[in-house]
Amino acid sequence: MAQHILNAVALGSVYLVFALGMALAWSTIGILNFAHGATFMFSAFTAHVVTQHVALPMPAVVLVAVAAGALIATLTQVLAFGPIMRRATDHRSAELRILIGGIGVAAIPLAIAERVTASAPFGFRGSTYQAQVFEIAGLRMTTTVLVIVVAGIGIGVGVWRWLATSRQGLALRAIGVDSETASLMGVDRSTLALGTMATAGALAGLAGALLTFQLGAIAPASGDQLLIKAFAIVVLGGLGSMGGVIVGAFVLAGAETFVLAMNQGTWVDAVSFGLIFAVLLLRPQGLFGRKEVRRT
Amino acid sequence: MIDWYFSHIVLIQSTLTTLLLALSVQVPLRAGVFSFAGVGCYGIGGYIAAIGMVHYGLSTATAILLAAVAGGVVAYALGLLIQRLTGLYLAMATVAFTLIISVLVVNGGDLTGGAAGLFGALGMLDTGHLLAVAAVVVAALTFTELGPLGRRVEAVREDPELASAMGINVARYRRATFAVSGVLGGLAGSMTVLLRSTVTPDDINFHLVVLALTIIIVGGSRSWIGALVGTVIFVWMPEMLAFVGEWEDVVYGVLVAAAAVYLPGGVTGAVVDGYRTYRRKRRETADSPPDAPPPQPAAAAVGGDS
Amino acid sequence: MVSGTVEDVGEARDAAATECVLRAADVAVHFGGVKAVDGVSIELTAGRIFGVLGPNGSGKSTLLAALTRLVPLTRGSLEFEGRRYDTVRPHTIAARGVARTFQTVRILPGRTVFDNVALGAESAGSAGKAERSRARQRVRTAIERTGLAGKERHRPDELSYGYQRRVEIARAIASEPTLLLLDEPTAGMNRQERDDITGLLGDLRGEGLTQLLIEHDVQMMVEACDHLFAMNFGELIAGGEPEAVVRHPAVQEAYLGTQGRAHA
Ligand SMILES: Nc1ncnc2c1ncn2[C@@H]1O[C@H](COP(=O)(O)OP(=O)(O)O)[C@@H](O)[C@H]1O
Ligand SMILES: [Mg+2]
Repeated sequence: MAQHILNAVALGSVYLVFALGMALAWSTIGILNFAHGATFMFSAFTAHVVTQHVALPMPAVVLVAVAAGALIATLTQVLAFGPIMRRATDHRSAELRILIGGIGVAAIPLAIAERVTASAPFGFRGSTYQAQVFEIAGLRMTTTVLVIVVAGIGIGVGVWRWLATSRQGLALRAIGVDSETASLMGVDRSTLALGTMATAGALAGLAGALLTFQLGAIAPASGDQLLIKAFAIVVLGGLGSMGGVIVGAFVLAGAETFVLAMNQGTWVDAVSFGLIFAVLLLRPQGLFGRKEVRRT
Repeated sequence: MIDWYFSHIVLIQSTLTTLLLALSVQVPLRAGVFSFAGVGCYGIGGYIAAIGMVHYGLSTATAILLAAVAGGVVAYALGLLIQRLTGLYLAMATVAFTLIISVLVVNGGDLTGGAAGLFGALGMLDTGHLLAVAAVVVAALTFTELGPLGRRVEAVREDPELASAMGINVARYRRATFAVSGVLGGLAGSMTVLLRSTVTPDDINFHLVVLALTIIIVGGSRSWIGALVGTVIFVWMPEMLAFVGEWEDVVYGVLVAAAAVYLPGGVTGAVVDGYRTYRRKRRETADSPPDAPPPQPAAAAVGGDS
Repeated sequence: MVSGTVEDVGEARDAAATECVLRAADVAVHFGGVKAVDGVSIELTAGRIFGVLGPNGSGKSTLLAALTRLVPLTRGSLEFEGRRYDTVRPHTIAARGVARTFQTVRILPGRTVFDNVALGAESAGSAGKAERSRARQRVRTAIERTGLAGKERHRPDELSYGYQRRVEIARAIASEPTLLLLDEPTAGMNRQERDDITGLLGDLRGEGLTQLLIEHDVQMMVEACDHLFAMNFGELIAGGEPEAVVRHPAVQEAYLGTQGRAHA
């Protein structure tokens, strides 16, 4: 039982880091980035390629993935989303085109990674990192899990508090609530958008490195699955609430671990799909979201 | 010609079924309903047709008819359930609906064949049948694009509040698009499966949603012609891009992203806009004396866009 | 005029014999804490032009939205031609014969003037051939009466703002409504264009069309309307014969900008 809880917490931490990036860009600058999953995957892939040539320690591998994620997201913003936002006449068509743009962008790193790896899973075998197994109170635990949980919860709470209390956080939330007022406040939308996307990409990269360390290897196609799970998490927590993302990530991880523990492996994916559906049906604003789902 | 036809028969047939799938997403989108329920009904239709043939020995026509009706009914019921949602939320709820279907069929036991799917559901279908179905569908959709109905659908998409102030029952139009998309999805799914003779849970995936969406965005979302153009582009791309070989998917991604940035109305939208600009320029030069009578419109004005 | 907060000035209550087209009783629309409309009662009698005056933000457009069911009522009741309609959906009341224009131009961007006007003429869902040709005739009439003749094939982005407004008006009258609600129909028009529109509204009144008109131009309203209402802070502050309403102290006060303290 306790072992299951530990697994759920580790899984939830990775979900959290990943979903946090998605939620950050979506709830502030209004970008639901469908290339977020591909960014996650390709960051880990970049680190994989680097470790094949240089034997790096764990922190360096993580750093490479984080930098790669930030770079990919920045490029996505500069080459696709930025131009769309400048050209779109109304919000609804911008939303749709950003979705499509993200889908197009996502196909590129996926195609490259699948070609290089022949669609086989890849990992960080070239890294110098060796997981240590130890036991606390009868719980088998690895250093990897420890790092993941500490990093996940630390970053989750950090981003949440930063957004809630800091000046930049306030500016970001202002743009999410009302971009006109925000621009009156002197917030430069395109710079902020770029910074937000880079941060979101860095979080995707971090999640990519962490999950690859924990599982040993990930497949190129794993980005898409994670994308839908992250959507479920954000919807459950409520768009605009970072605290909600934290709760959502651990609820989803807990539910999935439970289904697995019941030996119902083939139903695992239904958890996130069902969650999306049920939440949107019963409580569209999520657990902690702003009261009104934006009118379209 | 005959040789070409037989060596490309798979592509030709899949152009027609993919067109129906794309239309199942385009029809709601044209009324401002961002729903992928049609893709879920593609899965439902495929499985119903396969189950009907394998387990119950239905005829090809009966199996397809059953699949279309089931798709329409399920989508309509789904539409009733989630009619309060709009925009991305509606989109993702319907994506979830579609993916849930793939989980359901994995766990469907003998009925659905589990993870391995169903085999031996070969229908008596040829290109002529597919063409006939596509022609009927396209004719019906043309009717919804032109004239008064076309205007009303456009009003429902562009400005639902205005539409309702004009006496249009917006909610009814939205629900109707769900039903139509379900029927189209059911047709597309059942015919695809009966051509291939197999169906597996992996056939209903997120990639299918992406494919349907990119087809209509790149082709054009305002008319079935856009869906056809997009379908031809994406179904035939591997053939046409043979020279880029393994990099085909990269080209695909670049094309889709570029269309999202530069072609808001898709390929057909760009062509129509270009034509209009050209016509306006010509009219302006013709109109140059300011008091000259403008071209007389009344007679031609009824059908809308000409 | 039932509400106690409204002061009837000038003209006495209309003769009971005159047919009441629309009756709104104690209508309130609140957006969270904002009382956009708060306890407004009005009666519109057949064949006359009613006007609503009031500073920006006083709730005029929200009142129109309430009368057309585009916003939910916080309280109050609505009656059109003797039938309650405060729970029906907006398309129903539109189909019964209430047409409106919007304060901001709302026309389909990709469609011609003819198509946009036709949207008003045929949206009730007409099928037969005869009905369709009647609808086409209504469109042509509306286009001519609003001075849009010759521009049928133009798209909105080829028209000046004044002409876009005319499309709004043409679309509303093309449905041949029983009651026409106009939200600042002449905003952004020059003097000549305004006179055209008020002339048109006068003609429509001559044909028996009841109208509710929102405008800011006091002089124009006095000339065009048979009966004026004045709003401030979501409430009716006066109603009655136009000259008298304009001279009413509360109305003067609202327009001279001393309103803040009095109603806070
Ligand atoms: N949808 C809405 N949500 C919140 N407040 C609104 C909404 N519509 C109008 N309001 C508020 O209601 C008040 C009245 O607005 P409105 O009816 O547009 O006034 P007017 O037409 O007289 O200028 C204003 O304070 C406005 O900000
Ligand atoms: Mg107003």
